[in-house]
Amino acid sequence: MATKGKVLIIDDDPDLCAALQAALQADGFAVRSASNGSLGLEMMHEDKPDLVFLDIIMRMPVEGVWVSEQIAEDPELRKVPVVMLTSIVDSAYAGHFPTDRTLHAHLFLDKPVPIAKLLEVANQFAGPPSSTPG
Amino acid sequence: MESRIPFETELIERIAWLISLRWLAVLGTGAVLLLARLLYPGKLALLPLAIVTVIIALYNTQFLFYARALEQSHAGTARLQQATRFASIQIVLDLLALAALIHFSGGAENPVAVFFVFHTIIASILLPRGISFLMATLAALLFATIAGLEYAGILPHYHPPFLENVELYRAAPFLLMEGTVLALTLWLVAYMTSSISIKLRERDRELVQSHEAVLAKSRALEGVIERLRRIDAERTRFLMLVTHELRAPINTIHTCAELALAGASPETVRDILARIKKRTAELSELISDLLRLARAREEASHDEALGLVDAAAVLQSVVELMRAEAHSKDLFLSMDIDSGLAPVRANADRLKLVWTNLLSNAIKYTEPGGIIAVTLRQTPEHLVGIVRDTGIGIAPEDHPRVFEEFFRAENARTLSPMGTGVGLAIVQRIIDNWGGKIWVESEFGLGSKFSFVLPRADV
Repeated sequence: MATKGKVLIIDDDPDLCAALQAALQADGFAVRSASNGSLGLEMMHEDKPDLVFLDIIMRMPVEGVWVSEQIAEDPELRKVPVVMLTSIVDSAYAGHFPTDRTLHAHLFLDKPVPIAKLLEVANQFAGPPSSTPG
Repeated sequence: MESRIPFETELIERIAWLISLRWLAVLGTGAVLLLARLLYPGKLALLPLAIVTVIIALYNTQFLFYARALEQSHAGTARLQQATRFASIQIVLDLLALAALIHFSGGAENPVAVFFVFHTIIASILLPRGISFLMATLAALLFATIAGLEYAGILPHYHPPFLENVELYRAAPFLLMEGTVLALTLWLVAYMTSSISIKLRERDRELVQSHEAVLAKSRALEGVIERLRRIDAERTRFLMLVTHELRAPINTIHTCAELALAGASPETVRDILARIKKRTAELSELISDLLRLARAREEASHDEALGLVDAAAVLQSVVELMRAEAHSKDLFLSMDIDSGLAPVRANADRLKLVWTNLLSNAIKYTEPGGIIAVTLRQTPEHLVGIVRDTGIGIAPEDHPRVFEEFFRAENARTLSPMGTGVGLAIVQRIIDNWGGKIWVESEFGLGSKFSFVLPRADV
């Protein structure tokens, strides 16, 4: 199973983290999760994951946006693909979402994320070299 | 009182108008003098007439400056009195000047005496009715004095150039007749003009008052609209917050359920199902809290039926119910109630909810071995309820936010992931609805103290 890459989930919902983690692990990924932005950045430095799933709204609204900016500014972390998990479009925090900036994110996934979609994306960015398209 | 202010500005405006009129009179008199000099050379006492005209021009210049100063001075009753006095002086001077002009141009024989009507009209427009009658009388007296003195030969008589060889000024019946008619005319004019101007002034006053009433009403309405707008904005914000708070757990439950259905290992499925069960319980609790909060908010807009409530009995029943929970967590729970407490105007069920929320928070956020102390005391005007614990406390930056809907402090989340963040918002709403107040004091890591006051029903 070591053929698949390392995935980091940054989300303040421990149950969602557990579920996503279980799904990804069952598919052969090495998965860790962080319950807040700063912890997530720390783990990125430690683990050098191949892919990050990042929640936008955590304890602080748009905390995920801040995390993605930190990633973009760090020459080492910048190379890691980031997939944003959102339910922001019509949420209470929609007005806080910075539409005038280009976010450091490769993909946006709407919550609830279908497991099949989650695995497809994970395989696309962090799958074994042979199965990586392109 | 306010209605006097427009009258005052009006008076000051009319004084300016009077000064302009006087310039016209000066110019007119000058023109007439020049014309008379051409038509009747050597037959008119031009010098004294010219001197009087110059005197009028001189005092009018003075008035001009004084009127400007008055216009810029502070508005009020004092200024109104000043303006009235100023207008009276002007009219008296004008009467004297006209009397002098009449004297030097033929006395009672000069029909220009009719011009006293103008002064009377102006006085009746500008000044109170009594003063305008006084002015009319003064004008009549001035005419009588000139006619009398000329008749008696005490004052010289100047023949009007258009009336040669006629000596009307010595004809007593004519003088009496003319004087009487003039006096009557002046009084009638004073009466009629002041009647009209009093009516107009009253109507002005009514207009100003109704205008002010309309303004006050529109200001009040603006206030109401602003309040409704704020309430509406708050409702929308609240609704959006609620939606977010509801959607997050539903998304998680959905993903968990999908994973369980996808055929994960039995241990994983068991773990996931346990999480689903916990989250649905939380959601259900959140919905109950939201309903309680909605009710508390609703009660703020309608006056709910309040009764006299024995706060001590309510507190005792709540503490009895929660004692087991406190003991199971190895917490020491003490209760201290003043005797002979006055009742409060409240609702027993809602007051029970207040105590329950405060106490369950204390139990939830105090580590085993800690102490929770509940006291209920009485001051001359209030009942004071206090729930104190030796729990995790609240960080200073969170103090202003603990009563916010859905707010949960970081340390509270860490210790107890379950919690809706609505409990204290409900408590605050209820206490507010009853005219009370709640506040928190806390030292981070050492404990919290929630205190509330409710007005005594017997004061």
